Parts: sequence; C-alpha cells; structure tokens
Amino acid sequence: MRLINFGLLLRAWRETFGATLVFTIIIGSFGGLLSYALPRVQERFMSRGFIPPGLVQLRNTMMGVDSSASGVAEIAYTMAWSHPVIIVLLFAHGIIVTTRVPSGEIQSGTLDVLLGLPISRWELFVSETVAWLATASLVVGSMFAGSYIGSFWVKPESQPDWSVMAIVLANLALVYLLIGVCGLLTSVFSDRRGRAVLFVLIFAAGSVLVNYLELLWEPAKKISFLSVLHYYRPALILREAAWPWKDMAIIGGASLALWIIAGVKLARRDLATT
Amino acid sequence: MAYAVLTESLTRRYGSRRGIEDVNLAVTEGSLYGFLGPNGAGKTTTIRCLLGFLRATTGRASIFGLDCWRDSPTIKAEIGSIPGDLRLYPWLTGHSALKLFGRIRRRDIQAKGKLLADELELDLSVKVRQMSRGMRQKLGLILALAPEPKLIMLDEPSSGLDPLMQERFRQMLKRMAARGQTVFFSSHTLNEVEALCERVAIVRSGRIVADATLDDLRRQAKHEFEIVWADGAGERTAPPSFATLTAQSAARWVGSVEDGSLRPMLDFLAGKPVNDLRLARPDLETLFRRYYESDDEPGTAGPSPRDGANAASEVRS
Repeated sequence: MRLINFGLLLRAWRETFGATLVFTIIIGSFGGLLSYALPRVQERFMSRGFIPPGLVQLRNTMMGVDSSASGVAEIAYTMAWSHPVIIVLLFAHGIIVTTRVPSGEIQSGTLDVLLGLPISRWELFVSETVAWLATASLVVGSMFAGSYIGSFWVKPESQPDWSVMAIVLANLALVYLLIGVCGLLTSVFSDRRGRAVLFVLIFAAGSVLVNYLELLWEPAKKISFLSVLHYYRPALILREAAWPWKDMAIIGGASLALWIIAGVKLARRDLATT
Repeated sequence: MAYAVLTESLTRRYGSRRGIEDVNLAVTEGSLYGFLGPNGAGKTTTIRCLLGFLRATTGRASIFGLDCWRDSPTIKAEIGSIPGDLRLYPWLTGHSALKLFGRIRRRDIQAKGKLLADELELDLSVKVRQMSRGMRQKLGLILALAPEPKLIMLDEPSSGLDPLMQERFRQMLKRMAARGQTVFFSSHTLNEVEALCERVAIVRSGRIVADATLDDLRRQAKHEFEIVWADGAGERTAPPSFATLTAQSAARWVGSVEDGSLRPMLDFLAGKPVNDLRLARPDLETLFRRYYESDDEPGTAGPSPRDGANAASEVRS
C-alpha cells in the first residue's frame, strides 16, 4: 500500500505555503529580536544588582523555575524561547495547517473531488502529515535561526551553548507536534473546521493558562500534567545541558497515539461534503 | 454479462434521516446508464456509496467486481467522477489542475486534457477563482474524462453548461461509450437522460421505482383514454371490465386500459354516441412526472407497478 502521494504533498504545500511563509518570517524575526534584546536587558538588570521582586516573580513564572541563581544566557534565552507570542504563533500555525483535512475540505466542498481520485484515506492522511511536518520544520526552525542570528550582536559570555539550544529546539518541536496532532484529531472527528479549531484552541489556551497558574496558585499544580507546556522546560535544559527524555517521551508518545487514532478514524468514517 | 456497477439491497441511513433503501442496480459495461430522480431522492447518496465516501448501512455495492468500500482506491483508478456540487481549489488554473490531478493519479493526463479543453472551448490558463460556473464545470468534466477511465460517474454534470455545450458533451460521452467506456449519468432532468442514455433507473424517496430501457418504459405504460360522450351517454353506459376509470361523468370518461385491450375498447365504443376520443400511451415526460410527483411510497402510486417498480425485475430477468 502506498502511503505518500507526491501530488497530495504538492497540493498541501500549495495550500499552506502562504501561511507558513508569514509565520516563518514573523517567528524568525521576533525570535531574533528577543534573542538580541533580552540578553542586553538582563545584563543591565544584573549590572544594577537589584531587580524588583515583582519582576523576579514574573520572570520565574515565564521561565517555570526559580531563576534567582540563573545567568544572563539562561534567563534571556529561556524567556525568548518560552515567550507567549512565540508559543501562540507556533500553536496557531500548527492549528491552521492541521485542521485543513478533512474538516476544512468538507466545509469548502473540495473533499468530494479529492476523494474521487484514486487515493486511500491513509495515503491522504500520511501525505498531509508529511507535508505539515515539512512546513513545521520551517516554522520551528525559523525560531532557532532567528535566535541564532539575533545572538550575533550579543556578548559571547551572554550567548547560550547552541548545542544545548538544539535540545530546547527538539523539545519545542515536540510540543508543537502534539498541538498539531490535536489539530489533526479534532479535524478528523469534525465536519466543521471552526469547531475543530475551537477544541484545539481550548486545549492550547488551557495549557498556557495552567502552565502559568501552577507557579502562582497551588491547586493548579494538581492538573499541570495535563498541560502540554508542563513538558517543556527550556530553563532546566539550559541549566543542566541534558536531554529531557521523560518529557519528550511523554509528548512524543501522546502525539504518536493521537496520530494513530486520527488515522484510523479517518480511514473508517464517512466522508462527504454536506 | 459483465457489470461495471452492481448493487444488492444497498441501504444507507443517516440516523433518523432517510438515505437510500434497498437499491439494486446493474449497469453493464459499455452502457450509457441514466440515474434519474428529483432533488433529494437519493442519487448523490448512491453515488457516494459507490465511490466509497459513505459506508453502506446494509447491502453491498461493487464496481468491476470489487467492493466499493474496501477496494475504493483501486476502483477509483478506473473511475472519472464529477460531484453534483463541484468545488475546485481556487488557486488552480486549468493547466496546473491537469498537472496536479495527473500527479495524484500517477499518470500524465495533460495531452488528453488539452484535447478535451479544445473540444469544450475552455481556456486552461484561467484561474479557478476567476472562472464562471460553466467554466468550472467544464474543467471538472475535463479532469474526470482526461484519464480515459473505464467508468465515468457523473452527478448532475450539465449544470452550468449552455445548451450547445451540453449537446457537445453528450456527443463526447456517446463516443466514449462506443469505445467501451461505461457512463453512469445522474440527473433530475429527463430530457438530458433521454437524449443520452439507453437505460434508466428512477429513484424516488431513496428507492428505485423503475429500472428499464427507455423503450421498455414507454412500452410498459398503459394506454390512456379520454372519451367525450354525446347526450350524456356516459351516465347510461356501464364501464367495460378491462378498463380502469380515474374520472367518470355523464359527459366524459378518463382512464386506462392494459396492453392488448385496444381492440376490445374500440369494439366497446362501436356504435355508441361518442363525440371525441383520445387513446394513446402517455409520453415519457408525463410518465416521469408521475414518478416524481407521487408522495406515496414508491411502487404503490404514480404509474402502475407494472410500469415502474416491477419493470426492473422484468427487464433484468
């Protein structure tokens, strides 16, 4: 059984090219800007020797760890790589791309033509996934590239170890992957793209909210394992310079399981425009 | 006899909503087969089951001997189809559509597509988003026909085409059928089915109410009569046993007679005070309108069962 169809890949890329380009430019630029500016801001704070307690609390919340003993690079690049704007943009791209098939195609009425062609549902699903992952590598990679370029104008002692940043990148890519797979799953279960988007948005927004709440509000800790961001701790990675195998295995495993469920559902469900 | 399409008691329900019920179709290879019915009768649902979009609730459907659900991708390599409500990606042009669809089908359809575009007078350089409805319909037809499929499955394909183009399109389909390709042509318009197809199935309220050649359908229709009596003789005359009256007054009788009863009817009227007489089979338009208009369960109304529902088994046997 063939699982990848080059024509389907081209179609998916043509459909997502514009959005991917925009997200790549914005995330790369914003990531670069953060990587350029945040180390300078942090250096200034540290040169003064005093940081207001409220700001420390805010910084800890954003980083998800106690940052009082952290250096400039750890603080600045953790904040850049877990910045809400970056997270929201990445999630948005994942959701936009993955909810296209089948719910988006059902809604636009193009599914009847697509399914009239000699392709299997798995071929469609795998091709869509491969096309999405290719765009994902651009978007997530743009954060790394932007951050790397932005750091050219930062003092060497305030720059991170880029081999460790690659681990952060891998962890972030898995977080993005899980959100995207949630998009595939909700899209497969729905005939309305808006509904599919809404369900993933609730999960993504809930994840962000719980992630910040757990540091400020004790009861939120009990459910923090449900947040996808619970498994993304760039500060710890930068501090320990180690792969977060457990976190990555959990989100990777969840992504794989949900992807299989979505594929099986797509292969078995009735599909037609309404 | 080899069948391109064969369904056995094919049923598809949408929860409490009616879909199709007990649909039996047998489309022979190389035939031009009309699938006729009013909007909402179940034509599109049947086609969606055949194309493997929808799973049958009960019954089975096969194309070229392969199961329509399980073997759908294999089957569709031999099918060119166009949906009733055609939507194409707005960013496509005719040329890029031929390239893309060819890549998905894993075969080059550009040369044939260009020939068809010339025949249907479609400019392939125009983007879908700038095309009129008729142009989009032509492109959909080209994409369906260019792979030269063994089975052409068309759901309301002529909508949006002007009469001249409809005629040209019919000629194309006739040529393709002459070369051995099978055409399954769904429509709610009798005229285009009559102009193209040799055989027709009529679907109403999700059920097949007739499946026969057009000639058979015409032949199986009862003769209808209208007698205008002189001097109110209709009141004094007893109706003959071989006639069924649907309206009866002193001045006028309306009804029908079975085949073979024409001579007895003429003998019955001989010497009686008749002012005017009309005695003929109904034309196809009238026949089909009756199939369409009846609100009762299929097979119990409209043309008599012999005209319709039973015709399928008669003709098939």
